[in-house]
Amino acid sequence: MRTRSAGLIALISASALALAGCGGGGDEPGGNQTDTGGATDSSEESAVEEFPAGSTMAELAQAGSITIGTKFDQPLFGLVGPDGVPQGFDVEVAKIIAENLGIDEDGIEWVETISANRETFITNGDVDIVVATYTINDKRKEVISFAGPYYLAGQSILTLKSNTEIEGPDDLAGKKVCTVSGSTPEANLLANYPEAQVVPFGTYSECIEPLRNGQVDAVSTDNVILAGFAADNDDLEVRGDPFTEEPYGIGLAKDDTDFRNWINDVLEASYEDGTWTEAWEATAGTVLPTPEPPAVDRY
Amino acid sequence: MAHQSPAPAMPAGRADVPTDPLVVLEGVNKHFGALHVLKDIGLTVHRGEVVVVIGPSGSGKSTLCRAINRLETIDSGTIAIDGQPLPEEGKALAQLRADVGMVFQSFNLFAHKTVLQNVTLGPVKARGVKKAEAEANAMKLLERVGVANQAHKLPAQLSGGQQQRVAIARALAMQPKVMLFDEPTSALDPEMINEVLDVMISLAREGMTMIVVTHEMGFARKAAHRVVFMDGGQVVEEAEPETFFTTPRSDRAKDFLSKILTH
Amino acid sequence: MDAIIENLPAYWTGFRTTLQLTLVSGAIALAWGLVLAALRVSPLAPLRAFAAAYVELLRNTPLTLVFFFLVFVAPQFGVLPPLGFWTAVVALAAYTSAFVAEAVRSGINSVGIGQAEAARAIGLTFGQTLSVVILPQAVRTVIPPLINVFIALAKNTSVAAGFATVELMASGRRLATANPGDVIWILVGVAFFYLLITIPSGIVAGLVERKVAFVR
Repeated sequence: MRTRSAGLIALISASALALAGCGGGGDEPGGNQTDTGGATDSSEESAVEEFPAGSTMAELAQAGSITIGTKFDQPLFGLVGPDGVPQGFDVEVAKIIAENLGIDEDGIEWVETISANRETFITNGDVDIVVATYTINDKRKEVISFAGPYYLAGQSILTLKSNTEIEGPDDLAGKKVCTVSGSTPEANLLANYPEAQVVPFGTYSECIEPLRNGQVDAVSTDNVILAGFAADNDDLEVRGDPFTEEPYGIGLAKDDTDFRNWINDVLEASYEDGTWTEAWEATAGTVLPTPEPPAVDRY
Repeated sequence: MAHQSPAPAMPAGRADVPTDPLVVLEGVNKHFGALHVLKDIGLTVHRGEVVVVIGPSGSGKSTLCRAINRLETIDSGTIAIDGQPLPEEGKALAQLRADVGMVFQSFNLFAHKTVLQNVTLGPVKARGVKKAEAEANAMKLLERVGVANQAHKLPAQLSGGQQQRVAIARALAMQPKVMLFDEPTSALDPEMINEVLDVMISLAREGMTMIVVTHEMGFARKAAHRVVFMDGGQVVEEAEPETFFTTPRSDRAKDFLSKILTH
Repeated sequence: MDAIIENLPAYWTGFRTTLQLTLVSGAIALAWGLVLAALRVSPLAPLRAFAAAYVELLRNTPLTLVFFFLVFVAPQFGVLPPLGFWTAVVALAAYTSAFVAEAVRSGINSVGIGQAEAARAIGLTFGQTLSVVILPQAVRTVIPPLINVFIALAKNTSVAAGFATVELMASGRRLATANPGDVIWILVGVAFFYLLITIPSGIVAGLVERKVAFVR
């Protein structure tokens, strides 16, 4: 089931890439504009000029399009509305990166990535980057590279407001805890809170009704995701402090160091000029306090 | 039944005309879609009586035969057997069918059962007879119809005539009140017809109530009390066999007889 | 390849759950499917209509949706299934029974109408006619499609992975998260364990088919 939808997405994204390639190739007037605009020296266009030949940045800027994997079901970070366009903090961060490549919103192909297929999509080249509540960890670094982090999340617990038994992760023993099958939070629970009964579903949003019905006692994943659900549902509440550190990074092809360094530069610049804060406040900041931007990790 | 001497020819009709009604049809109508296949049929068959139903194809004679044990439902009218009207689907109907033996044109022996099992299945399943008792009785019946030596074969290993005789034994094993024969010799090769008819004739002699749809005039003459001629879904004429075959009253019967006699 | 061998215990746990799901829901689907097939040929029109509606509805609904209704919609009507194994069994059995019913019904139809008439004519009830005369003769034609239904069921159990059941697929997903560098091999391992159920089933199907064909 999951592999099937992953295959389908790969197929769709491949055809999306092909389409984007055609559009980029035929986009001569755009190229000309960049040339003539060189005199005015806007920051974007000068950036386009600077990319070293053969770099990923140059290729993407040349094509005028980029394929970005993000979540389609994550409130505040990446959530697709009825219009089919994803919205959220991850999406805004991705737009900042695209913008610095000289690619506007029309040049972005959004591809849904789920927890289980992010590495595969990157290694297969189905997507150029993944911005999808993607925790940086060493195992993943063996396969792909991470720019960032651009946000520090932590695993937490969501329960009904009326629940008086669960205040922190140690209270989960013997309780039914809903999470996503194959996700990092599931792995954390299994490794560190083995007495919790893990109830895995396909997406976090599917955990909400069983929580309301009392079929599960809690939902556990990154605090920011839970905050989104709590903001939308008056009867739900996030409990306790985060009990893990989940630095969100931007996934890209392994060892594309130039691209990684450049994205880190872009992130740092966005911290400086306030676009990062703007992006936060427009999305997750509507329900969560604005944090200090985390230091990027140039490993 | 090779061991039996040929049955002596009977005089026209049979003298021992019974009078106790066993199968009674009144005002029976049936349609197949727009086709009116049984038109207001009234027919009474008495205990011990042998009735041959004759008529051109499509006259409704087979449907009439099948309606008597409700393999075909009827639209209106009543059919009663031994005073009991035919019940709706269910246990009661199954009970009633157990009392009505049926022999089909195409034998319809159970293909996955041996000859012996074919004969014991009904008594064991529908009557609750013990297996050993049912088998002993079945062997007697198979003996009587002359296929006892085939008891442990599958139906497909038998000739058509043998299969039809097994089918008669299967029906008799239920000790039915009446036996229905739906063109029992029509699917047989000519050389096998007589071995089946001989069994039927001896059955008639023993006083079995029989309703037989057939074109075998030899059988009708030898064994039947009465011939019922059907055409176009109606009973056109009823008479003793000799009378019917020699001096039919209706034009339709005359026409039909002229065709089958010259055939 | 090493990723598979290192994680054999995790695979084994998932495999056992998948096997249990397949066998338990398969058995229930077989029993319920036989009942549905019997209803579809029963002399009573309302029973026929019920069975036909059930079969058409379940057969033409994606399995994921059947799970979805059971897990997310049924609670709206006050039916709270215990999440996990037994919910998956109910969904899989309800869905698969429709396919069983169709396979059995086509087998029943392959037995000549004269067999049923002869059985009824000697006084057998509808149930006896079906169980003693029709089904034994239908077995030969029913077994091969039935094994196909069973193989499909074994694969369909993977849908339960998205609905609170940690079977082979969900175990595979966990392993993929733990071994992001070996996702392909992890999935090859998952496929191997499915084949461990489906290929022997296919072989058994062949043997049974030959055996019943010979008996006939």
